[in-house]
Amino acid sequence: MGELVVEKHTKYIVTVEKSKDSFESVVMEHLRLNGAYWGLTTLDIMGKLDVVDQDEVVSWIMQCQHESGGFGGNIGHDPHLLYTLSAIQVLGLFNKTDVLDIDKVANYIAGLQNADGSFNGDIWGEVDTRFSYIAICSLALLRRLDKINVEKAVEYIVSCKNVDGGFGCTPGAESHAGQIFCCVGALAITGSLDRVDKDLLGWWLCERQLKSGGLNGRPEKLADVCYSWWVLSSLIMIDRVHWIDKDKLIKFILDCQDKEKGGISDRPDDAVDVFHTYFGVAGLSLLEYPGLKPVDPAYALPVDVVNRIFFSK
Amino acid sequence: MTRVNPSHLLIELEHVLESDPLIDEVGFVHPSQFLVLNGDQPQTKNISEMPSGSDANASGNFWNRDHKLGISIGVLLPLYNAAKQAFMEAVERYKKELKEEYGEDSVSASFFNSLDCLENDVMKHSRALLLLSSDFGTAWNSRKQIVSKKQQLAMFVDELHLSKLILSYSPKSERAWSHRRWAIKIISRKFVNLQEIVEEESELVKGLAERSKMNYRAWNHRCWLVSYMSRGQILHELRKSKDWAGLNVADSSCFHYRARLLLWLLDHVGNCNQDANFGVELYLVWKEELNWVEGLIKRYIGREALWLHRRFLSVCWINHFATLSLNAPGQDIDKSLLTHDTDIFISNELQLFQSCTVIPDNNFEDYKAQATYAATYIMWLMKQVPEFPKVEASKLNILLKELCPEKSTIWDGLISLCGNI
Ligand SMILES: [Zn+2]
Repeated sequence: MGELVVEKHTKYIVTVEKSKDSFESVVMEHLRLNGAYWGLTTLDIMGKLDVVDQDEVVSWIMQCQHESGGFGGNIGHDPHLLYTLSAIQVLGLFNKTDVLDIDKVANYIAGLQNADGSFNGDIWGEVDTRFSYIAICSLALLRRLDKINVEKAVEYIVSCKNVDGGFGCTPGAESHAGQIFCCVGALAITGSLDRVDKDLLGWWLCERQLKSGGLNGRPEKLADVCYSWWVLSSLIMIDRVHWIDKDKLIKFILDCQDKEKGGISDRPDDAVDVFHTYFGVAGLSLLEYPGLKPVDPAYALPVDVVNRIFFSK
Repeated sequence: MTRVNPSHLLIELEHVLESDPLIDEVGFVHPSQFLVLNGDQPQTKNISEMPSGSDANASGNFWNRDHKLGISIGVLLPLYNAAKQAFMEAVERYKKELKEEYGEDSVSASFFNSLDCLENDVMKHSRALLLLSSDFGTAWNSRKQIVSKKQQLAMFVDELHLSKLILSYSPKSERAWSHRRWAIKIISRKFVNLQEIVEEESELVKGLAERSKMNYRAWNHRCWLVSYMSRGQILHELRKSKDWAGLNVADSSCFHYRARLLLWLLDHVGNCNQDANFGVELYLVWKEELNWVEGLIKRYIGREALWLHRRFLSVCWINHFATLSLNAPGQDIDKSLLTHDTDIFISNELQLFQSCTVIPDNNFEDYKAQATYAATYIMWLMKQVPEFPKVEASKLNILLKELCPEKSTIWDGLISLCGNI
């Protein structure tokens, strides 16, 4: 079995951030804050966060913030919960959450809760359990969960549970590993995991492992590295991770590396990107691959970062 | 490639979009394909022959015929940069103008003129930008802001058209789908009944699902429509999506859609006292679905989506109908239907399992997959249905390990849920 080429991945993450010479790279600029979270968290898990200029990143992040308190995906872009969580997480990595006006950000998030407990992603009203997770995770990291109706938020998430034990983006929507991570993560953070049928959900999740060792995100789909994170973290949170073959999954992720140029792809021999590089490395961390910092499955941040946030005064 | 002025490219693209408002499909095309496209039918217009009188159209980077638009991949980067810059500038000026003028006491006529102008610019540039970057949320938002201010039905309909156009090349675009739902919600609140739109939306998803298999967002859109449907439409959708599902047996999103429709009926059967036949009708619909899926399972060997759909159908059947027939003696259910009780159902499922574990010499892999799904199907019922006999779980475990030793860890985990081994 090959090894994780840490140095190559580090170099890949640093250079990909700077490249602006192809349509494929510039066309992602509206979600640059998500990209920053993926790249920087990967670096931190590998113990390489010191290769980036903290102050430069922090000052850029603060330029993405709006009057409302929410963050856009880049400077000049409209605010959305998707980028607000990334901003909080990246500032957490750098131990810089004190640059935030905490209540202002928390009020922005809390203001997006609906009467039924669900959350809009922004002022335009799209509802999704991903936004429930983001709101709950963000407010927990800001230690302002008291600003929302947690009980109703939990009820809404539970209403998205399907007959197969999984969760979708809204009530009645198809189960999807990414949505399941969001729902289980939100329930874990709010101490509501008793609302999950762990055996049934664990069943659905472990059936995602294919013969190759890789995991898919829905029935009949191909294995994909990003689901190493979503499926695996969910299995850990509901305490059913022993149902899958960890060694084969490690091998699958390592086989998706570009060993020359760095980076990880969705499946072997495909083109690499930062998104899959993050999910591959974070997945390996959950699988206790040597030399990596442990990651918290609910907050999607290194455990030491989460501890620092919760145990600081 | 010859260097072209990016802002001319943008003008050219926006000109094409304006002169052919009925464009319903867009694609990014390699420059070499332009020759093929044009050679195809030399008489029809390529952009350079369009009656505009402007030299900007002569670059040959766009192709437009029969309301289809092709954009050369050679110009995507400069075109995107130009569109983004134009849009960001326009939207900034627009927001500034709004803020400044509304702050003053009297609003002048010239303000409205310049505001109209700025709104036009934002609409024009955001359209071009979204064609190149379909999830550019800020561009969608600026359109929402302007369209909601105007409150004209035609403008909302235009938004549906744009979203459809963008989905034609980017069928998974999250923002395009959500923009669509936003427009539909307002149209239905202010102008027409949503039930009229449902049919059209359903067709759209069907078309896109044909080209983009297992598209979560497309099928999710169709699932979202369910709560706006009438009972007649639900039954119509069930009939309509059946053929498609039968031809796309690996698309589990389509089977989930059917499950969603069936659950809607199940939820509404209780509060429908005025129509006793509804219960009987649903009973028959369910039975038909079970038979249909059994047929598909036997025809298409080793398809996970079919077995998962059967899990859903079976557990609901046991919970709702096997007991319904006993608990509702007042209802006018044909006696012959009552024969389908739990025992008969269970023995049928065990028989199906047995028949699916026979593995012929040819097509080895598919039949092994089939036997594996059959075994996990029975285990799943053993866990989820209390009435289901805990038959020979240890034999199932041995069978699964023979069929698929790669997943021994999983089989050990699952078998532990199926009662005593
Ligand atoms: Zn992926």
